[in-house]
Amino acid sequence: MKFVSLKLRLQLGKVEGVIELYEDDAPQTAKLLQELLPIEKKARHAMECGREVYVILDDEVEIPDENQTIYQTVGDVVMYYKPAIFIDPEWPDYYNERPVLGWVYERDTAIRGISAPLATNVVGKIVSGLDLLRVEAPRMRREGFASMRLSLL
Amino acid sequence: MARKIILDLEGETATATMLEKFAPLTCEAVWNILPVEGRAIHANWSGREIMLHLEGEKLLRIPSERRLRSHFVAPGDIVYYWRDAQLSRGKQLAYSSQFQRELSEFAIFYGDPCGEGLEADDPSRQLRQVSLTSHTKFASLDKPIPEGFLKKCEANRHEGLKRLVVSRFEK
Repeated sequence: MKFVSLKLRLQLGKVEGVIELYEDDAPQTAKLLQELLPIEKKARHAMECGREVYVILDDEVEIPDENQTIYQTVGDVVMYYKPAIFIDPEWPDYYNERPVLGWVYERDTAIRGISAPLATNVVGKIVSGLDLLRVEAPRMRREGFASMRLSLL
Repeated sequence: MARKIILDLEGETATATMLEKFAPLTCEAVWNILPVEGRAIHANWSGREIMLHLEGEKLLRIPSERRLRSHFVAPGDIVYYWRDAQLSRGKQLAYSSQFQRELSEFAIFYGDPCGEGLEADDPSRQLRQVSLTSHTKFASLDKPIPEGFLKKCEANRHEGLKRLVVSRFEK
């Protein structure tokens, strides 16, 4: 058991928050995420499951099944494969899903596939800044999405 | 001759045919408030859908005209939707000022996926709250839907609100 959890800085547009990684509950996914840092990509908003912001990871990223849930809660940071049709209206034939890193900022969110909930790896939790992020995300939804950056704190 | 409407989303247009046979009250009410304009926002529950909220004197309160047994919709469907102010009280904190009020809107489904199973997950659109909401499909976008209009709808997801004008289309 670690006494000090690894923390990441999450920046979205004009605001930032802090993520605490679940190194004990999701060791493989937490390690994978650390290896991908820093991440800076265009942020997107879910159109099918509520209040989720996510970025698309590179296609070679392989996410293990670990610490999964279909009941995401506010502040959860998740990694999983999102159906490609939710991302782009057109995509190459060999992509049916894309690896993504996302986070949930509001109640009622339920990440799902085409016909059922999706199991998502819960790799961490937003432990501060959520009050700012939950304002910035809907602002970007109205005014346009910029990039999201994730780096070691 | 069926009535037609035209949707202009920041310069990209599409026409739609009103379904007066199935939804005469809704079609008449909608026709009478046209033109309607506002800033369309993209759905975040129901897939490829943009919404235009009806404001002020354009706000409509019309009961559902057909019994809805499912939330099935298809690309091209335009649905009138009304929601009582009571429905989402205390929820959706990020949108509290906007969403904790009565809502009347056009829901314009422009592509796959949309509808069954997805929209049904939106707590504020579930059918059990029948006295607090109404839905009526009243028009359908003429096919093929222009590519430019589709791309503009998709851009609405990433670029934010876009001006949408819905008018009578009379040649």
